[in-house]
Amino acid sequence: MTDVTPTISIDARGISCPGPLTNLIKAYRKAKNGDVIEVLATDPGFKSDVKAWVERTGNELISLTEEGGVIRALIKVTAR
Amino acid sequence: MEKRVLILGGGDGGTILANRLARRLGPDELSIEVIDKEGTHWYQPGFLFSAVGEAEREEISLCRVALYKENVKFTQAEVTKIDLDDRKVSLKDGSERSYDYLVIATGSTLYYDDIPGFKGGADHFWSFGASMRLRKKLMSIKSGRVLVGVGGLTYKCPVAPLEMVFLADELFRRRGVRDSIELVYLSPMGRAYGPHLLNKLVEEEMAKRGIELVTYFTVDEIDGKNRKVMSAEGDSLDYDILILSPPHRGSEVIINSGIGDDEGWVPVDKHFLTVKGYDDAFAIGDATALPIPKTGVVAHFQAATLANNIAADIRGGIKETFDGQSFCLIEMGESRASAQVSNYRYNIPPGLIPNWLFHAMKMAFTKMYWKYILTGLM
Ligand SMILES: Cc1cc2nc3c(=O)[nH]c(=O)nc-3n(C[C@H](O)[C@H](O)[C@H](O)COP(=O)(O)OP(=O)(O)OC[C@H]3O[C@@H](n4cnc5c(N)ncnc54)[C@H](O)[C@@H]3O)c2cc1C
Repeated sequence: MTDVTPTISIDARGISCPGPLTNLIKAYRKAKNGDVIEVLATDPGFKSDVKAWVERTGNELISLTEEGGVIRALIKVTAR
Repeated sequence: MEKRVLILGGGDGGTILANRLARRLGPDELSIEVIDKEGTHWYQPGFLFSAVGEAEREEISLCRVALYKENVKFTQAEVTKIDLDDRKVSLKDGSERSYDYLVIATGSTLYYDDIPGFKGGADHFWSFGASMRLRKKLMSIKSGRVLVGVGGLTYKCPVAPLEMVFLADELFRRRGVRDSIELVYLSPMGRAYGPHLLNKLVEEEMAKRGIELVTYFTVDEIDGKNRKVMSAEGDSLDYDILILSPPHRGSEVIINSGIGDDEGWVPVDKHFLTVKGYDDAFAIGDATALPIPKTGVVAHFQAATLANNIAADIRGGIKETFDGQSFCLIEMGESRASAQVSNYRYNIPPGLIPNWLFHAMKMAFTKMYWKYILTGLM
C-alpha cells in the first residue's frame, strides 16, 4: 500500500463504462500538477482504461489495486 | 380531500408524467399543475436533423398548452426557489405554490463557461437556434477541416456527437464536397465511444468513411479568433467548423435552492426517485444525479414508474421500481441505425449491426412522440 493522501477523490462505484473514466477526466481538467486523484470503481474495464489513459496523457499511476471487487486507482497529476 | 402534485418543468419527463397521472386519476383525487418557463416544447432529437437540413421547425415543436390533458393546469413561469422543508415553491412573479407531491423535472441547462471560449468558438446542436446556425455553416463550407466530438463531458444524449459526424459525412457527400473536407472525430478517451462492442462498430464505420479519429483529446479551451482548440493533454488542432457537445449543468434553481450537487444535479434514490432525505419530493429525467445517460427515454421510463407510484399512493396499490432502463437508437447515416439497450444490471450493450429497420424506427418515433408518448398513452 502507499501512504500518499489523495487531494481529489472520485467515487465511481456502481457506474458503468465510460462513467469512471469520464469522471476522472472531468477532475483532471480542474486539477493542477501535484494533485493526487483517487478513483474508486467497480467497472472491470476501468483497470485497462485507466492504465491506457495515464500512459497516453503522461501522468503518473501511483497504484492500481483491487480489493473485494473495488478497483482503486491513485494518479499523480504531472502533465497539466 | 384531493391531493396536489406540482411538476416543475414541462419537458419530456414532466409532460409525460402529468398526462399519465391525468389518465389514471380524476380531478377529485389529484390536482396537477405543470410549471415551465418556456411556452414551446421541442422534440430535441430533431435538432440533430435540423442541423443537417432534414427537419424543419414545425415538425419538431409544438405550443405547450396544446400538449396537456384537460385536468392538467399549465403555468408558464420561472421557478426561482424550491423549499423542500416547507413544501413551498416560489415563482419569479413573487407568487408561491404548496404541494403534497413535488416532482423536479427541470432538465439540464447549457453552461458554456465550463469551457473557456466555447461561446463564439464552437458550434453545437443542443438547441434549435444553435442547430440552425450550424446548418448555415454545414451547407456552405466547400473545403477545410471539420471537427466533431465531445466537448462538455456531461451532456444529454451521449451518442449525439457520433450521430453528427456520420450525418455530416453524408451531407458533405451529397453536396459533393466531401473530398475537400477533412472530417475528424474528437474523443477524450482512448476510443471513439465507451461501450466496447458498440465502439468496434463505430470505429469500423469511421474508417470506412474516411473519418479520422483523434483520441485522448479533452477539450480544455477554444480560441475562436484563430480557430484553434486546445486539449487538457496539451495538444491543439486548427479547424474551420468545430462541433462539440456543450457543457451541461442542472437548472439554476436547483443550485440556488441548495438541493443539488456542485453541478446542480439532484441526488435521488435510484429505484424510487425520491430526493435524498424526503418522501414527498421526486426528481426525474436529466435533472437527477443518477449515473445513467441523460436521455428522453430515461425520462419517459421514470415518468411511467412515478405516475404508477403516485397513483398507488393515493388509491392504494403496488409500487414499482425504476431499474435504470435505457434505450437508444444510434443514427449512422445512409438510412441505417444501431441501437443500445441497458439497465442498472445489464450495462454492457451489444454492438447491434446498423440496419435500415432501426433507422425506420428512429424516423417513426418522431411521429409517435407527439401522438402517443407525450400524451401518456405509451
Ligand atoms: C440533439 C439532441 C439529441 C437527442 N437525442 C435523443 C435521443 O435520440 N433519444 C433520447 O432518448 N433522448 C435524446 N435527447 C435527450 C432528450 O431530449 C432529453 O434527455 C430529455 O428532453 C430530458 O427530459 P427532461 O424532462 O428531463 O428535460 P427537458 O425535456 O429538457 O425539460 C426540462 C424543462 O424544464 C424547464 N425548466 C428548467 N428550469 C426551470 C425553471 N427554473 N422554471 C421553470 N421551468 C424550468 C425547461 O424550460 C424545460 O422545458 C437528445 C437531446 C438533444 C439535445
